[in-house]
Amino acid sequence: MQIEENLKLAWSGLTDHKFRSFLTMLGIIFGVASVIAMLSIGEGAKREAIAKYQDLGVNNIIVRDKDLTAEELEEVRIRFSSGLSTQDAQSIKEVVPGVEKIACQSELNAEVKYADKSVKSTVTGVTPDFFGMMNYRLKSGEWLNETHSALRRKVCLLGAGVAMTLYRQEDPVGKMVKVEDQWLEVIGILESKALFTETVGELAARDLNNDVYLPLETYLTRFGLTNQMQSQIKQITVRVANSGQIVEASNLIREILKRRHFNNDDYSIVIPYELLKQEEKERQIYNFLLGAIAAISLIVGGIGIMNIMLATVMERTREIGIRRAIGARKKDIMSQFVSEAVAISITGGIIGVVLGIVLSLTVSLFTDIKTSIQLYSIFIAFAFSVIVGISFGYLPAKNAANLKPVDSIRYE
Amino acid sequence: MLIEIKNMVKNYEIGDILIPALKDINLNIEFNEYVAIMGPSGSGKSTLMNILGCLDTPSTGHYFFRGTDVSTLDDDALSAMRNREIGFIFQNFNLLPRLNSLQNVELPLIYAGTPPPERRERAEQALERVGLSDRMSHKPSELSGGQRQRVAIARALVTNPGILLADEPTGALDTRTGEDIMALFQAIHNEGNTIIIITHEQDIANHAARNIYLRDGEIHSDRIKN
Repeated sequence: MQIEENLKLAWSGLTDHKFRSFLTMLGIIFGVASVIAMLSIGEGAKREAIAKYQDLGVNNIIVRDKDLTAEELEEVRIRFSSGLSTQDAQSIKEVVPGVEKIACQSELNAEVKYADKSVKSTVTGVTPDFFGMMNYRLKSGEWLNETHSALRRKVCLLGAGVAMTLYRQEDPVGKMVKVEDQWLEVIGILESKALFTETVGELAARDLNNDVYLPLETYLTRFGLTNQMQSQIKQITVRVANSGQIVEASNLIREILKRRHFNNDDYSIVIPYELLKQEEKERQIYNFLLGAIAAISLIVGGIGIMNIMLATVMERTREIGIRRAIGARKKDIMSQFVSEAVAISITGGIIGVVLGIVLSLTVSLFTDIKTSIQLYSIFIAFAFSVIVGISFGYLPAKNAANLKPVDSIRYE
Repeated sequence: MLIEIKNMVKNYEIGDILIPALKDINLNIEFNEYVAIMGPSGSGKSTLMNILGCLDTPSTGHYFFRGTDVSTLDDDALSAMRNREIGFIFQNFNLLPRLNSLQNVELPLIYAGTPPPERRERAEQALERVGLSDRMSHKPSELSGGQRQRVAIARALVTNPGILLADEPTGALDTRTGEDIMALFQAIHNEGNTIIIITHEQDIANHAARNIYLRDGEIHSDRIKN
């Protein structure tokens, strides 16, 4: 029998009992929708994590001065540690193999002013390599460079947020901003950076777009230490040539700092790559669980289809007998009922795909969970629903085909 | 010779017990015969009809249809045989309720693999032959009993089968409609078709040229009218 005829038959089988067909489809609909929604949420989370750690640099090791209370600070100073310093950075660079770049930074929370506007900002003194290592991009103007550092020029780069708040429509490049009692010339604007929404170790969650960057040397000269106890710098960022060296390099850095800080635990080491791997592992377990739930839902959906197909075959015993009497072969009957099961599962699959897309869009619209609908997940879900239709339609169809025409034609 | 049955036996097994339905049947039916098979219930006439219609196969013995030994055919070949050579007409019409007249008549041609345009044309011709060209798009539920049986006859005729096999074709109809149907059978027979009617009514059997009486699974008499 022609495929076209089977499709027509399957479609009329579906539409003759719309409500029943819909109920039968529910299992498949939910299964497929959950596969798509789940994968899109998982992918969204993955992208967010990757973006987050990429901003920190996956080949970076970050050493950060701990925020200590006055008493704790006094304690570590008594025990000979002078806090994180450029000398620490120098030792790391000299001793640790595979270090590609190294950057130091100091931070100060201050009000930044221009004309009658002001904004609370983190004023950061950095060495020039910092920007490349942390994946910053320049929107306009120029980067801080070695000359700026060497000459301790009073220049700065503005984060996108600061530039927007202080200058609105004006071009900030070439203008002056006031930080505490110092005037700095704006030489460039940075592109907007993803919000850093999660605290990682000593790295607090904050909006990097509100930062103002100036050369570390300028910073140390102009802003310097506000009190004697304070460490010279806040953070050392180390980039190794490839991620295979990260563990080894971080162990070495730990040793160096232990010695230089006389066993005082006044710094912490953050390794974005390891955090990324760890999160990936957690997500894998999570994905597996969600996948299992979706698979169960699809199987339950399949059983629903099988159940209704068995009932349909019973109901249509007479029809099967008639068809057999006028010349339908077993395989004609077989393909008719498999087609019907597949029609149910495919229709359910299509509705499920739509529902899944709507669901993940709704999630990303009404919550701050990011989602990303994956084309492959649609294919997987769809292929699954076809497979479910065929495999769970097979048994009822086989029953139908094996009915004896002599008996079924007289079935009332 | 169209049909040749030799020493045919059909037994049914129910549990361990063997129940004989047909005992040693020998029967020949020629092209263009008009045969009525009669007998009380339990005489084996339904079993005989099932075998003649290739719905069932004999336990022992042979059934030759146009020289082919049907008793040796597998299920697919039997299906093809029913499709090409047998036109069934049932007491309760056995039309598919969801399909209209034309679609019901087209059905055997779908299984024969006939392409759609030709299928439609032949189905229309068959419906014209039974006088229902104005009822093509009606569903069975919208037709009278007589009209339904005419659709069933058109469906049986559409493949130009070797025999029309009618099982109590007037059983569900009133006397007048029954007579109309029998007149239609006569006309179809006059066009050169072989017809076998299974019935328990003598009035109906009288339309046929040859009457075969079955009793207890055996042929009791086989008479040809002059």
